[in-house]
Amino acid sequence: MKDIIRVKSLISADVETLLNQQIKKEAQSSSAYLSMASWCDRNGFDNSAEYFFKQAEEERQHQLKFYRYVLDMGGTALSPEVTNVKIEYNSFREIFEEALDQEISVTQSIKNIAARCHKEQDYVTVEFLNWFFKEQREEEYKARRALELFDLIGEEGTGRWEIDKHVGKIHYGNEAGE
Amino acid sequence: MQNTTLEVSTHLAEVYSTVKGAVYQSDSEKCWYVDFAGKMAKFDYRNILKLKKAIYAIDIEEILLNSSKTADVEIVFICACEHCYVLTLLEIISFKELLEGTFVMLSLNQILHDRLYRIAA
Repeated sequence: MKDIIRVKSLISADVETLLNQQIKKEAQSSSAYLSMASWCDRNGFDNSAEYFFKQAEEERQHQLKFYRYVLDMGGTALSPEVTNVKIEYNSFREIFEEALDQEISVTQSIKNIAARCHKEQDYVTVEFLNWFFKEQREEEYKARRALELFDLIGEEGTGRWEIDKHVGKIHYGNEAGE
Repeated sequence: MQNTTLEVSTHLAEVYSTVKGAVYQSDSEKCWYVDFAGKMAKFDYRNILKLKKAIYAIDIEEILLNSSKTADVEIVFICACEHCYVLTLLEIISFKELLEGTFVMLSLNQILHDRLYRIAA
């Protein structure tokens, strides 16, 4: 009896489900960043708004990367529904705290997919995920550095204005320590 | 009719069967024949996955606990597929059992292929 399933799809049903969940997570992440950009813009934090617009676009690119991978491997990529996007935030700082939480959650979720892939020896997907691990290194670094500005500069007086000015300058080099 | 059955049986391999039904694979047509609820239906790769998803998605426990006076009948319609099933609760349970067994056997077949032909000894 021929192995029709393997011929049609490189990834297993379980990995496909996890990748589709990740597609949804990236879409939610992109929408959340867009919402953060909106809040920052409304409250006069121009540079931070710009920073979050860029982040939203990046998350969207990540989503598409997963989406195309599932299709390339013979799976069914599902276009996700994004609901419950937050509109209001209590403070400027809260936004950056949520941004970091979000990135941590994305990293953990990708680690979980990789663990599943290792279990079923799907090294093809592991290799695909490696790009994201490097990306997450940068994403978490940027989010953490942005939050640290609040402690370094302080929010009193023109503090928030100063923080906003520095958010756009956060940069992560290609290799660690750059 | 008898001739068709005979012809079918020569190129089909049984994947899994229960007392209520059976699933056969046709290597030449790259598809599966599902013999259940009084009919033999042909499913290709995409459609059998859709069938699996549709049947697995039925919440059997919820139907069992549902005390409303609606009929215990579930209509399983698969998009872009010519077959449709109208199943009672007992049939759903048997169909799920049949499909679960089928997919376990297909995974086993994949493991056997890996071991026998794909991985050098």
